[in-house]
Amino acid sequence: MPRTFVRWVSVAAIAFVALVAGMYFNAGVPRESPAAGLLGLALPDTDGREQRLDQWKGQVLVVNFWATWCEPCREEMPEFVKAQAALGAKGLQFVGIAIDQPDKIRRFSQDLNLNYPSLVGGYGALELSKSFGNTIMALPFTVIIDRKGQVAYTQLGPLKPGKLDAIVGKLL
Amino acid sequence: MDCALISNGSPPKPLRPDSSSQGWLAGILAVLLYVGPISAAAADGELLPPEQAFRFSARALNDRTLEARFAIADGYYLYRDKFKFAVTQDGAVLGAPELPAGKIKTDEFFGKMETYRGTVIVKLPLSGAAAGQTVVLAADSQGCADIGVCYPPMRQMLTLALPALGAGPGAQVDATPPRKNWFK
Repeated sequence: MPRTFVRWVSVAAIAFVALVAGMYFNAGVPRESPAAGLLGLALPDTDGREQRLDQWKGQVLVVNFWATWCEPCREEMPEFVKAQAALGAKGLQFVGIAIDQPDKIRRFSQDLNLNYPSLVGGYGALELSKSFGNTIMALPFTVIIDRKGQVAYTQLGPLKPGKLDAIVGKLL
Repeated sequence: MDCALISNGSPPKPLRPDSSSQGWLAGILAVLLYVGPISAAAADGELLPPEQAFRFSARALNDRTLEARFAIADGYYLYRDKFKFAVTQDGAVLGAPELPAGKIKTDEFFGKMETYRGTVIVKLPLSGAAAGQTVVLAADSQGCADIGVCYPPMRQMLTLALPALGAGPGAQVDATPPRKNWFK
């Protein structure tokens, strides 16, 4: 292959890659990394106190987007309670972001004996989950962030206990 | 990661005159493969966007009755008690929607829940509107997919022209016209 031709094709290919990348990054994806955006978030808890997610930076953070109107969400949460109890001392921290009203979240948290905080997220919080690939903004949606603050895993739909143990086990 | 595999597999550089160009190509390929996982993470596989999973349409049977219709895709369902309907015109009011019986499921936490699959038709009594008038109908609904995800409550809207007195039912109006597919 003539060298100039290869160069020319390479330049065209780079232009194409740049175009694709440009389209991707302009498609509503924030400039900062999604994980940084999430960790930089401050949301009220059910008592109205603002909680920054970066207070748990350095731990293995499992952020679970849920809602009281979401039956599959409720079904997986008892497993999260068990994992929080078993592995919390090793540095595992669950945080719920509920797309719901505070009184409903409080009642549900009590019913489910949640042993981790559930913050009050609005539609904006659900929008944020889009940057992790949850483009249809469905629930439950779970993001696992490692101790360095990087996204280790995302899951739309229930996270099976075996899967959770396997991922978290590697990160702790 | 894919790009790591590619760079491990590429030959050492200075062996052939063309190798720098090949390095370029390998680099481009690595970038393309690197973009791959990002888009894969953004894809939702088989899940439909809510307006396609739950297609809302309606027609005016006459100036006193609207008929809402939800065509629910296979593998998806809507909750009966989450439906809410409203018309936005001054003076026009909807009566209690005539919701058909759904399938009842009892849940430990949620109690008795009634869901719909397939097609649901809901009659909506309308008062305070005149024949020939136009009304905007808003429908709130909430549903889930069998694979274990739920969509947030959704509002869909459409505009209906009420038929003239004595005329038959108006045309069926879709809330979300099918999207253009740029690749077809």
